[in-house]
Amino acid sequence: MKNGSYQLSRNFNLQDVGDLSWLKKRYNFDAIAFSIDELIVVNVERGEKNVDVFCENLLRLNENCFMPIAAGGGIRSMDDAYKILDSGAEKLIVNTPLVTQPDLVKSLVKTFGSQCIIASIDFKKYEDGKIDVFIENGSKPTGQTIEESVKNAHDLKCGEIYLTSMEQDGTGYGYDLDVLEKIVSSSKIPIIASGGAGKYEHFADGIQKAGAPAVSTANLFNFIADGLIEVRKTMIDRGLDMASWDLGFRG
Amino acid sequence: MISILNYGMGNIRSIRNALNFLGVEHKLIDKPEQILESKKLILPGVGSFRLAMENMDKKKFIDPLNKAVLEKKIPVLGICLGMQLMAEESEEDGLTKGFGWIKGTIKKFDADKLKIKVPHVGFNTVIFEKGKNTAYKGLGEKSDYYYVHSYRISYDDCDAVSGWTEYGEKIVGSIEKENIFGTQYHPEKSQSNGLIYLKNFAEL
Repeated sequence: MKNGSYQLSRNFNLQDVGDLSWLKKRYNFDAIAFSIDELIVVNVERGEKNVDVFCENLLRLNENCFMPIAAGGGIRSMDDAYKILDSGAEKLIVNTPLVTQPDLVKSLVKTFGSQCIIASIDFKKYEDGKIDVFIENGSKPTGQTIEESVKNAHDLKCGEIYLTSMEQDGTGYGYDLDVLEKIVSSSKIPIIASGGAGKYEHFADGIQKAGAPAVSTANLFNFIADGLIEVRKTMIDRGLDMASWDLGFRG
Repeated sequence: MISILNYGMGNIRSIRNALNFLGVEHKLIDKPEQILESKKLILPGVGSFRLAMENMDKKKFIDPLNKAVLEKKIPVLGICLGMQLMAEESEEDGLTKGFGWIKGTIKKFDADKLKIKVPHVGFNTVIFEKGKNTAYKGLGEKSDYYYVHSYRISYDDCDAVSGWTEYGEKIVGSIEKENIFGTQYHPEKSQSNGLIYLKNFAEL
């Protein structure tokens, strides 16, 4: 989300797609909300992020959402964190602060608990195979390896890691299964795979081929019509134990 | 009318959204005298047990809550940390006494011994105890709910289990003892299964 407007991202380049009423109408978002396990909402505004505007939009988005919501992007103070949690999120996502404000992250964990803090790690794979972790909406290389970044998240006692491949982001070519598998097997905290899911099979691949405990998509093409319900069905057909509830429940 | 107690430990908005969706009347309360005036109570909660009990004490909620729950026997639902506060004590961050309305001690999952990842995050199945499913009406024998916690009550420790979950060990998923209800999981975050639980509590 950027300034109240929803975004399509490809390799971290953003394209405006529409506001909440557009999202609700075009993608039947209220119905989609009943077909997913969890929702992640990220403020991808470049430069200075307006947390208040983000929170206003987050509030409207989650009125009819009855699953866990993680939100973040731009958390630079405890105050930002409180605002976001008060707007209906149960978990916070932090990316840049993992590197630039580790004490803030420690403070967030101490106040809200490990389970409330998701470490968002964005990585870019260069042509020579070298991998670098980026911060600030994927604009600034840190010189850290993913392993170092994951260790940092462990040391700061984050509850989950949202691991995004910048290469795969928005391409629909599938997750970076090699990197995912390596990181999943060495991490004590759960990894949420992100970046690249485009076919129904990709989601199950992330879990079965790379061992990720969670898979995600931000690609709006996956949201069209019954896309996410079909994803869910495919995962069940592939033998995955998915949580079940009444997908058609409306009150 | 359900009164949701604001004792400074977050997570109120999602519960209100759920009640709005279900068409259940609710209001936020934050004064000791309002506790005794309530017909039905929800204790929400996310975060530290110790901080929660300190807040309860500071805000002078402890006596009115004991009176409302144990003497007046008004229906009360504790969610996540709200349920944990109902137990005898917690080992999180030192040893802190809870309300003691149900038996049990809050202890951390032993990740190494049980070979599990902690916190316990995600949907998991809650199996209902026979004869203890007032709030689970219409949901059959088991249902999936959303958990996010590092501390839990062991099934064997508790005298009021209404639903349990397997996560390395058998843990308390929910409790029910006369007018006292509690869920370790988040019903307001468990899609239709949670909405139905809340609806049943509202209709008691």
